[in-house]
Amino acid sequence: MIDRPPTAEDARDLLAAEYVLGLTEAADLPQVEAFILRDAAFAAAVANWRARLAPLDFTAASATADERIWTGIEENLGVAPNPIPNRVAAPTTAPAAMASPPSEAPIRTAPTPSIEPRAPAPRRPAPTRPDAMPGLWNSLAFWRFTGLAGSFAALLLAAGLGYFMREAYRQPTLIAVLMTPDGAQPAAVVNAFADGRAELVPLSNIDVPPGKAIEIWTLWDRAVGPRSIGLIQRAGRTSLKLEGLPKPQPGQIFEMTLEDSGGSPTGRPTGPILNKGEATTAL
Amino acid sequence: MADEFDIGEAIAGCAAGDRQALRRIYDLEGPRMLGVAMRLLKRRALAEEAVQDSFVLLWKHAASFDPKKGSGRTWLYAVLRHRSLNILRGESRIELSEEPVAENEASEDENPEEIVTRLSDGQKLRQCLEGLDPQRRSAIVLSYVHGLSHSELAAKLEMPLGTVKSWLRRSLISLRECMG
Repeated sequence: MIDRPPTAEDARDLLAAEYVLGLTEAADLPQVEAFILRDAAFAAAVANWRARLAPLDFTAASATADERIWTGIEENLGVAPNPIPNRVAAPTTAPAAMASPPSEAPIRTAPTPSIEPRAPAPRRPAPTRPDAMPGLWNSLAFWRFTGLAGSFAALLLAAGLGYFMREAYRQPTLIAVLMTPDGAQPAAVVNAFADGRAELVPLSNIDVPPGKAIEIWTLWDRAVGPRSIGLIQRAGRTSLKLEGLPKPQPGQIFEMTLEDSGGSPTGRPTGPILNKGEATTAL
Repeated sequence: MADEFDIGEAIAGCAAGDRQALRRIYDLEGPRMLGVAMRLLKRRALAEEAVQDSFVLLWKHAASFDPKKGSGRTWLYAVLRHRSLNILRGESRIELSEEPVAENEASEDENPEEIVTRLSDGQKLRQCLEGLDPQRRSAIVLSYVHGLSHSELAAKLEMPLGTVKSWLRRSLISLRECMG
């Protein structure tokens, strides 16, 4: 049998092998899993190693599976974070669903599918479901990469399981994936951490015309209305100002609107919604 | 063993919201998945958690599985392994439980040689693993099956860490060149 030291060409393949073997250091995981997403050849190398070693799993003795394991599974199926209903109902095309006419009280009058109780949406294959995103988008230093390779669905498929990452040292408690109005593109992620910090991680560039800015809002109670938690000139990783606000809860809405460069003059969203999402607990 | 078609079909059923399809996968593969998780995590409670999490993840992401890109069963076990390794890494950082691992919960008696003999005769993996010398074979099997880290392998094989790493890499190259 051949026994030779690794060459440069071997390096990537060995990275893939070690990943499949579970030998990748925790600190290196985000990089390696990001690589799976970005590099189809690397993703293929990982897939090949999985296929080679898979028969070892089938040597495992079957353990008795108590019915309560299934019960535990079932209990969590129904509680799955739902996709933004905007994707099922028509997304708001009028500017700013959260905006209110300046003369009225700040209670939204337009219907808000995302916080009212809703009938379960009919399940259909939806590769762009936001609940597919949390672990992945949180952990990757995606802001380092300009843009995303291909569509979201293609990414998931190429990644295989890259999206089950977990950055062991910085686990957010709540995540909101902000989707574009057509529901097709994940535009950004909001991570909320146990210590009250929150950050915005854009996933791709957002076009900001001169004289304009992106304002970030959150809404947890219609009676209170949306609150501004950030204002940025261009898409980039940002801390969000949640001081003084109630601790973020599942179901809380985060959205970005396009405002004038100083931010909305009214303290409420006035410009078009760029993207929007609902917070869910991170798995 | 259920054939490949059944698993792929069941995953498609899950994507369409059919819980019976998930149950079918659970009945077919659940017990063995539990066995795989036990080999990695040792503690039954953790293994059950890994299996439960994996099925929930399977359900949520069934729509993203593309049968053209690979085997449903491999995907299933890849989800399970990923989840188990996550838990394993978390465990090694945080002592979540002080209880000693019960003797009958751990399956580390299952030594690498025994595991390899359980691979079917005609399988390339078996042939190629058997072509490696026993220690190299052991290292690969111990890391994949029992989730041993480089440090743990070094301790077990009584080798320096740096040596184990480079030596394991050479073994993997040999394995790949044998298997294609």
